[in-house]
Amino acid sequence: MKRGRERKKETQTTSSSPPAKPKDLTQTLPDSGGMDELLEVLGYKVKSTDMADVAQKLEQLEMVMGEDGVSQLADTVHYNPSDLSGWYQSMLSEINNTGSDGVSSSVDFDITLPGDASTTMIDFSNNNVTNGQQTSNMYDDDPYDLRAIAGGAIYGISSTDESLEDRNGIKRMKSAGSDEIIDVPPESPRPVVLVDSQEAGIRLVHTLMACAEAVQQNNMKLADALVKHVGILVASQAGAMAKVARYFASALAQRIYKIYPRESLEDLHMHFYESCPYLKFAHFTANQAILEAFAGATRVHVIDFSLNQGMQWPALMQALALRNGGPPAFRLTGIGPPQPDNTDALQQVGWKLAQLADTIGVEFEFRGFVANSLADIDAGMLDIRPTDEEVVAVNSVFELHRLLSRPGAVDKVLNSMKDMKPKIVTIVEQESSHNDTVFLNRFNEALHYYSTMFDSLESSALTQSNTLDLEMSEVYLGRQICNVVACEGTDRVERHETLTQWRTRMNSAGFSPVHLGSNAFKQASMLLALFAGGDGYRVEENDGCLMLGWHTRPLIATSAWQPGSVVET
Amino acid sequence: MLHTHNNILERETKREKHNISINDHNDILIEVLQRLDGRSLAAAACVCKKWCSIVRNDALWEHLCFRQLSVPPSVGVRSVVLALGGYRRLYLMCVRPVVSRLKKRRSNGGHTEVVRRLWNRNEVELSLSLFCVEYYERLLLGDGGAVGGGESAAKSLRFLCKTVNV
Repeated sequence: MKRGRERKKETQTTSSSPPAKPKDLTQTLPDSGGMDELLEVLGYKVKSTDMADVAQKLEQLEMVMGEDGVSQLADTVHYNPSDLSGWYQSMLSEINNTGSDGVSSSVDFDITLPGDASTTMIDFSNNNVTNGQQTSNMYDDDPYDLRAIAGGAIYGISSTDESLEDRNGIKRMKSAGSDEIIDVPPESPRPVVLVDSQEAGIRLVHTLMACAEAVQQNNMKLADALVKHVGILVASQAGAMAKVARYFASALAQRIYKIYPRESLEDLHMHFYESCPYLKFAHFTANQAILEAFAGATRVHVIDFSLNQGMQWPALMQALALRNGGPPAFRLTGIGPPQPDNTDALQQVGWKLAQLADTIGVEFEFRGFVANSLADIDAGMLDIRPTDEEVVAVNSVFELHRLLSRPGAVDKVLNSMKDMKPKIVTIVEQESSHNDTVFLNRFNEALHYYSTMFDSLESSALTQSNTLDLEMSEVYLGRQICNVVACEGTDRVERHETLTQWRTRMNSAGFSPVHLGSNAFKQASMLLALFAGGDGYRVEENDGCLMLGWHTRPLIATSAWQPGSVVET
Repeated sequence: MLHTHNNILERETKREKHNISINDHNDILIEVLQRLDGRSLAAAACVCKKWCSIVRNDALWEHLCFRQLSVPPSVGVRSVVLALGGYRRLYLMCVRPVVSRLKKRRSNGGHTEVVRRLWNRNEVELSLSLFCVEYYERLLLGDGGAVGGGESAAKSLRFLCKTVNV
């Protein structure tokens, strides 16, 4: 049956092919024309004598695709063959266009080459390098079905001898007509199977962007295919890029299938605090500005829009305790979201802070406000005392951008802020534009931003033995990614905007900037110098504001403001 | 046997007449210990019980923390530091890693490095702030004895304990 057919083809081939490889033709061939019978069934014509090499290449392929590469792929969705043809064509034309040969397959699988010349074969090493996704199909589905899909086109190899010894490229004749060959340009076979991970990484990014573009154009079918392809590409990647890609792919998939993520329950804030310097930078720089604004005051009041675990305040309280002339009376009003289990988390934090204050000898008072949105709070609730009695500071770390999901909310809050009569307002926000009206722009910005963040996390990973914080931080960032990409309307709360945009907004709301001094800069630089792996972090001063970035990319920005327009002194 | 014992006794009485034992003079001992670096101090604590009790005195560590300051720290620092866990802990958790980390960075930047350099106010302030954050974190985590708790740092300072990857 099949074997007979193959054998016949084999004899045809050997008779018509010129002695390109004399060595091989003179080898004595066992039974079925030297072909391994089992692989024949899959459509591969491999000489039994080459089996050892083939096995080695297969092992390398598996290794390269990741330890659980096979099982990962076994979980992939099975393609509908009829949908694949267009996809294959685009993939193959992409591959062939990278070849040096200039002989490219256009649309068809049926390409036969002229009699002579450098015809190419699918060498296993080539397969692995360029056709990563092709060979993955080996595991996809039943092998017999694969043959039905591919029609022996991709996998049919007419001649013998995967010429692994031939370093100059593969020159083989094939019989015209009966076999259809995919044209793969003859790259010089590499002795080791290397997936060019940088190239694969770039392809990953391009596929992600192509998928986002498809979503932008509402071409969900293409987007669906692309997002699955990303899944395959990701399997062969490791490191920060792979993690980011997984989160983005998952977010895209949720957008495509309209499965919106539920509210996440666990608070991962502390893990993010521990594993990288962003929050510490935010706290230290904001505290420095507040400390300077509080100089000489005997009673102070801090209104914190982002209390969380209260990690910002111990350092400020300590600095106040050691200040010349002794500490002022310190009042803290903390605002936070309602807890799913209805515990009063704010009070717990207040209680711990009170214990600390007692220890270091600072008079302390705490009040907590639970609110779904900052816009629900107005100054009247907060017991603002007259300015000659008490100096007020307002602090917001990574909270203001959420207000942009509801129209008018941010303006309302900025007005309330003015009613609180603060001496200083400190704002820390992510430095990126994730609130563009066009989805694709948001996507691209977010991709670059979070890739940089994950890179910086990865460098911290080298020095930490406890990886839990790191992993949880990645989940924390992953949630943000999901929100930016998959959500819309009032659900999309991670509406980050750049410092420039915030400056405009604050100016038009009637605030003027307060320059963060050199002390803040020095302290921030020193703090970062302490971080192992801190070579990559950079502190930059930007017209009175401080930015923390990774290498050349700024990631968060601290700015300080006071009410009153610029003209007033 | 008795003969050698007598010899030893003779030798010892001779020594007593001519030598001074440092253990008899605490103030001299303290003066000497004050000039040691942290590591030597810790080693000194292992010599004998007397030395151990002297070294455990927080005043020695206070001296160690701040003796290289160009300007002495302000008055209120001591009560705060003692309340947060003491100078020995401050040295162990914050001062030593901060100084060594910053020293490494400076020498990698190509500046010639003096082993004992003066460290400035900013570094002191930063160390104190980190020390306070660490105390608070132990409070948050609800350690049974948050005050003067175990020797291991709360998580927020772990980044100081890792070697610099330069």
